[in-house]
Amino acid sequence: MSTATSDHTSAHAHAPQTEGHHEEGEVHVHVNSPLFMIAIFAALIVLTVMTVAVSYVDLGSANTFVAILVATMKATLVATFFMHLKGDKAIHSIIFIGAFVFLIIFVGLTNDDLSTRSAVDIDNGSHRLERSGDIAPGGLRIPAAPAGTTPSAAGAAAPAEHH
Amino acid sequence: MSSATTTEASHSPVEGGHGHGQHAPFLAHHFDTPAHQFDSAKLGMWIFIATEILMFGGLFVAYGLFRGREMEMFHQAHERLDKIMGAVNTVVLLFSSLTAALAVRQSQVGDRKGTTRWLIVTLLCACIFLVVKFFEYQHKFHDGLLPGHYFTAHLAQHAHHGHVLPYRAHMFFALYFMMTGLHGVHVLIGMGVLSWALKRNLDGKISGRYFTPIEIGALYWHLVDLVWIYLFPLLYLVG
Repeated sequence: MSTATSDHTSAHAHAPQTEGHHEEGEVHVHVNSPLFMIAIFAALIVLTVMTVAVSYVDLGSANTFVAILVATMKATLVATFFMHLKGDKAIHSIIFIGAFVFLIIFVGLTNDDLSTRSAVDIDNGSHRLERSGDIAPGGLRIPAAPAGTTPSAAGAAAPAEHH
Repeated sequence: MSSATTTEASHSPVEGGHGHGQHAPFLAHHFDTPAHQFDSAKLGMWIFIATEILMFGGLFVAYGLFRGREMEMFHQAHERLDKIMGAVNTVVLLFSSLTAALAVRQSQVGDRKGTTRWLIVTLLCACIFLVVKFFEYQHKFHDGLLPGHYFTAHLAQHAHHGHVLPYRAHMFFALYFMMTGLHGVHVLIGMGVLSWALKRNLDGKISGRYFTPIEIGALYWHLVDLVWIYLFPLLYLVG
């Protein structure tokens, strides 16, 4: 094995960018030059310095947006070049991006749940939606609601009482 | 990683069927070719990485939703974290990702010594990261900024200088410790994986035809880096 390996690797080392000399069934990979990888690292450092510098400037809610955007750019560089997704089988990229798709579904549904939950209205023995003050769907009804008063009209007065 | 164990199994004398002169010693019996074995190992690793992203995802979702409801508190609490230490650790981890990628590259071209050198540099970076983390944690412990009912900073802050923590600041620090803690555990596991890859390289099991342990170990290490790339700005920079 050792002779075969050294023959193989010396051929490989002399021409790291060529792939054609492999036998059938051997592992084929694209080998990046060290200089290229150092350039990617330099780009990652530049982005890190940028994101730290921006954090000292108050941009309001844009700070969060910039931070996540720069982080995503860095993550893309690492995944594409250090983790070799570029030039790799498409299935690896699909699995990787798929994880983030499911993460977005996770965030979306959890946020939808939390933001539409009702708060307990102790005074009236019911549940009310936090934002509109309306009685929550499926929640308890106010027993002594006057005739002709819609739940939303009753709810409109509710936030004033509780604040 | 499983492919490595099965490789060793293929040397077992009880394995019958054919002689070992017919195929490379690293090729496990249930794979047709080295490429088949390599692709299977990488596919498995990427699926594992997806599960890791979703595990950390739970914490990121908790962070996002709590932060959306406690904007001001998160912002005030995050100022207790040391931006400089966080930035130093970011650079250390990014550099270790470079060296891990270089280790993979050297293994691909059959440079055993180069692989060893870059793997050791990567492991040293991991140690530096943990040392910096230790000093950060030590400071938080001292200030009583611990998660859950161990949080005692609100009791101490009156006695100390005028740094008043906002109401419910313990939520931020609970997330801080859970997220950086789980990440820290991954750093430790990554060091174990890379040490194992280093040992296989030193044992002469790695060559330009078989570098799966280095490749898989480095993929795990890049994942550790990826998580930190998001943790650093979210916890230290914007809060």
